Amino acid sequence: MSELLDLAQAAVEAARAAGADWCDAYCSDTTEISVDVEKSSINYCATIRDQGLSVRAFTAGGQGFASVQQLSLESARECAQRAVAMSQAAHPDPDFVALPEPAAFDEVPELFDDALAGLGADEFVGWCARGIEEARAVADDAIVQGGAGAGWGESALAGSTGVAVTRRGSSASLYFFVIINRDGDVGSFYEHDQARRLADLEVEGIATRAAEEALRQLGSKPIPTKRLPIILGPLATISLIGSIIGAADAESVQRNRSYLAGREGERIAAELLTVREAPHVPAGMRSAPCDGEGVPTCARALIDAGVLTTYLHNSYTAFKAGVAPTGHASRSGYGSSVGIGPSNLQIQPGAQTEAELIGELTEGLYIAHAGLSPNPITGEVSTTADFGFRIERGELTTPLSTTLIGSTADELLGGIDAVSSDYREEPGFIMPSLRIASVQVASEG
Amino acid sequence: MRELIEEILGRAQARGAHFADMRVTEGEGTSVTVEDGKADRVRSTAPSGAGLRVLVDGAWGFAPTNLVTRDELMRCLDDALAMAKAASGHVTEPGAVAKVEPVVATVASEARIDPRGVPLADRVQHIFEIEQVARERDERIVNTTASYSDAAGRTIIANSFGTFIEQEATRCSVRIMATAQSGDVRQFASESEAGPRGYEIIEELDAEGWAGGTADRALALLDAAPAPAGTFDVIIDPRVCGLLVHEAFGHNAEADAVWAGESILAGHEGQVVCSELVTIVDDPGIENANGSFTYDHEGVPGRRQEIIRDGVLLGYLHSLETAARLGAEPNGRARAQSHQDEPLVRMSNTFIEAGDATLEEMIADTQRGLLLKGGYWGYVFTARGQFTCNVENAWAIENGKLGRHYRNASFAGLTMEMLSRVDAVGNELSFDLGGMCGKGGQAMHVDAGGPFLRIRDVVVGGQQQAGG
Repeated sequence: MSELLDLAQAAVEAARAAGADWCDAYCSDTTEISVDVEKSSINYCATIRDQGLSVRAFTAGGQGFASVQQLSLESARECAQRAVAMSQAAHPDPDFVALPEPAAFDEVPELFDDALAGLGADEFVGWCARGIEEARAVADDAIVQGGAGAGWGESALAGSTGVAVTRRGSSASLYFFVIINRDGDVGSFYEHDQARRLADLEVEGIATRAAEEALRQLGSKPIPTKRLPIILGPLATISLIGSIIGAADAESVQRNRSYLAGREGERIAAELLTVREAPHVPAGMRSAPCDGEGVPTCARALIDAGVLTTYLHNSYTAFKAGVAPTGHASRSGYGSSVGIGPSNLQIQPGAQTEAELIGELTEGLYIAHAGLSPNPITGEVSTTADFGFRIERGELTTPLSTTLIGSTADELLGGIDAVSSDYREEPGFIMPSLRIASVQVASEG
Repeated sequence: MRELIEEILGRAQARGAHFADMRVTEGEGTSVTVEDGKADRVRSTAPSGAGLRVLVDGAWGFAPTNLVTRDELMRCLDDALAMAKAASGHVTEPGAVAKVEPVVATVASEARIDPRGVPLADRVQHIFEIEQVARERDERIVNTTASYSDAAGRTIIANSFGTFIEQEATRCSVRIMATAQSGDVRQFASESEAGPRGYEIIEELDAEGWAGGTADRALALLDAAPAPAGTFDVIIDPRVCGLLVHEAFGHNAEADAVWAGESILAGHEGQVVCSELVTIVDDPGIENANGSFTYDHEGVPGRRQEIIRDGVLLGYLHSLETAARLGAEPNGRARAQSHQDEPLVRMSNTFIEAGDATLEEMIADTQRGLLLKGGYWGYVFTARGQFTCNVENAWAIENGKLGRHYRNASFAGLTMEMLSRVDAVGNELSFDLGGMCGKGGQAMHVDAGGPFLRIRDVVVGGQQQAGG
C-alpha cells in the first residue's frame, strides 16, 4: 500500500518541481473478475487488472489534469509534468483558493473483505449457474441475461498540502434480467444485489424474483391519459432522490446550470421527506472516511423535512462560496478528475406500509423501476414508466404499456403525500416507497 | 511487436483455444473546457494497453493489461485461458466465430490537420472564442460551456486467422451548451460536431452561426410552453428521426440481441415488418460521419448493410460470433471502447433513406399534430420493443399550420407499430446526431439521421393534458 502512496507523493513532488502552485496525485491498482450470462448460458468470463495514476495541477488557479495507465516512477513524473503543462495552458482562475489541508479521521470498518477479494472465477460462475436454474424453475421458457462479479483494490492520494491517504476497498454484485416471451407478449424484469462483504451478498433468490416479476409483466396494456397519483417503488424512489441530490452539486449551482440554484435552505419537497447521508456505515457501498480530496466526511441530513440543508461541495466550490468543504469531492478512478457526489443515502421511512399506501388509492400507477430523474438543468421530467402497474381499487392490476409521465422536480417532490414504513436496504442505503399525489400521465388508452 | 503478438496467439491455440484475438492500443488525447469565459480545465490522457480474448470449448475468456510487455501478455494469456475454462463447464449455447479470410493492412488516419500539431494555446484560444459567441448572445444566457477533445493513436488488431491490421485514427469533437434563464424558468440547448477527422472540424466551424444559434435555441425555449400530453400525429425532424432509428430500431438489429432472444425482429427475416415507405441502412463508410470506420475491432471490413428495404427485413449487424450463430456473413460491427473492453455488436451510421415528400406538404396535410425537433435522448427495451425519445421542441400543428411552441416532450411506443404508421417520408436526408452510444457499459462513436417523417397516432408525454 505504501508503494502507491510513495508513487503519488513522487508525482506531487514532480509537479511542484515543474512549477505547479498546488497539486494532488491519485493512483490505484485494482482487479476485477466478471462473468456474463447470455441466453441462459455462461459464455464469457474476464479478469481485468487496472493500474493507473493521475495528477491535478493548478497554476494561477487554472486546472491541468493528466493521467497515465501505468504505475512507475518514470511514468508518474512524466504525468506530473504533463499536468503542469496543461495547467499553464489553462486560463487563470481567481475563484480557485486552495486545496484542502490534511485532516484526521477515523477509518470506516469493513470496506475491504479478504474473503471476497480471494474469490476465483468459479465462484461467480456458480452464482450465475444457480440464477439460471432459479429463473427456469419459475418459468421454463425464461430467457436469462445477467452476470456476477467482484472488484477489489487499493488507492492512494497525496496532495501538495500534505494530504496523504491510502484506501482499500472491495465489492461484489450480481444481477439478472429475465425475459419471458409468449407469442409476442413479453414480460421482463431486472433484479440485483451488491455488497462490500461476501457475507452481505444475497446470492439466492435474485433470479427467482426477477423471473416472478417478469411473469407479472405479461399482458401489459395502456391506460387513459389523465392525472393520477403514483407510487414509486424503492428503486424508482432512490433513482429520483439520487438525481435530486445530484442536482445539489455546488459546481452546477455556482455555474447556474442546476434547477436547485438559489434553493439552499429552502423547502424543495413535502415535509414528509427527509434524506440523510450516512458515509460511515460499516461495509456501506459508498461509505468512506474522507472524500476524494482527503476531507473528512460526515453524517447529516441533506433534505430535512423537505428543506434542502446544503449544497454538496468539493474544496473548489466550498472555498469559492466561502464555506468549509462538505466532504463531497468524488473520484471515479484515476482516469477522471475530481467531481462532486454524495455517499450512502437513507430516506426516512414513514408510518404506513407500501401495501397500505397502494390500498388507499382507487386509481393510480405503481412504478418499480423508472428514470423519473428531472433534467438537472431545467428540473423537468418527461419519461416512460417502463416497469409498473395500474392501481385499481387499492390493488395492482394490469402491467403498464407505453405510459409516459410529464412533470417537474417541484411537482414530484412537493406532491409527496406518503413515505412507506417498509423499505429496501442495500449496504448503507435505505429506500422506502414514495407516493406522489398527482402527476400527468399519457398513454394510448 | 508483431512477432510477440503472433507468438501469444499461437500459444493460445496450442493451449486449446479455438480462436484468439488481441488488440493493442497506444494513443494520446487532450481536452479543453471553457465555461463562462474561462478555460479553467485542460486535460491530457495517454491510454495504452492490450486486450487478449480466447475461445475455449465454446466459452470466451478475456484479459487486458495496461502494460504491453512480454511478461504481461503471457500473464494475460494464462488469465484468459483460465477464465474461459472456468465458464466452459456451464456453456449451453457454445460461442463460435465465423471463419473469415485474414486481412493484413495498414490504415492511415484521415485527419487533414493533426491536432497534436496545433499549439495547445491556440486550441484553448479557439474554444474560448467559440464559447464567447454563445456567452455574449444575450444577457439571459446564464451559463455557457464549450468542450473540446482530440484523440490520436494506433490500434493493432490481430487474430488467430492471421489478420494483422495497424489502424491509425484521429478524432476531434467540440460541443457547446448554453443555458438561458428568465425568472424561474431555466432552459438549455447544446450542439456538437464530432468525427474521425482532425482539427479541421474546429477550423471549419462557423462559430457565429453554430454557437450563436445554440444560444438562440436556449433563449427561444424560455418562451415555450410545457408540452401537452396525449396522442398526436407527429412530424419528426432529421435529428429526432436519427434518434428514433438508432434507439427504437437499431438496437433491435444488433445481432447479439437477435440471437439472445432480446429483439423483436428475431424470426421476421424476409417479412414485411413496417411501412413500405421505410428503408433503413447502417453504413460505416459514410465520409466524415461520426460512426465511420474502415475495419471493426475484430479486423472485419465495415460494410454497408441494408436492414430494411421498402418495409422488408433483410439482415442484421454482426460480429464474428453472431454471424456464426445466425449463419450470416460478418459485416464488421464489433467494436470495443478500449483495450479493457471486449468487442460488442454496435451500430455505425444508421439512417432512414429519403422519400419524396416535402416538409411543407407534410405540415399542410396534418390536421392535429406536433412537429418535433431536436433530439435530447432515447432508450429502448429491445425485448419488448418499447422505446422512449425525448426532444427539445414541439410545435402544434392545427389544420395544416404551425402554431404554439412547446418544450421538452417525450414520445414512446412499440417500435414496429410506430414504423408501420409512417405515412410520409421527407425528400432530404440529413445526418445530425453524431455522438456516443452506451451499451454494456461501453461508450461508442455513432451517427444517425434521416429525413423528416410523419407518423400517425403517437403517444406524447408532457406536463399538461392536451388542450389544457
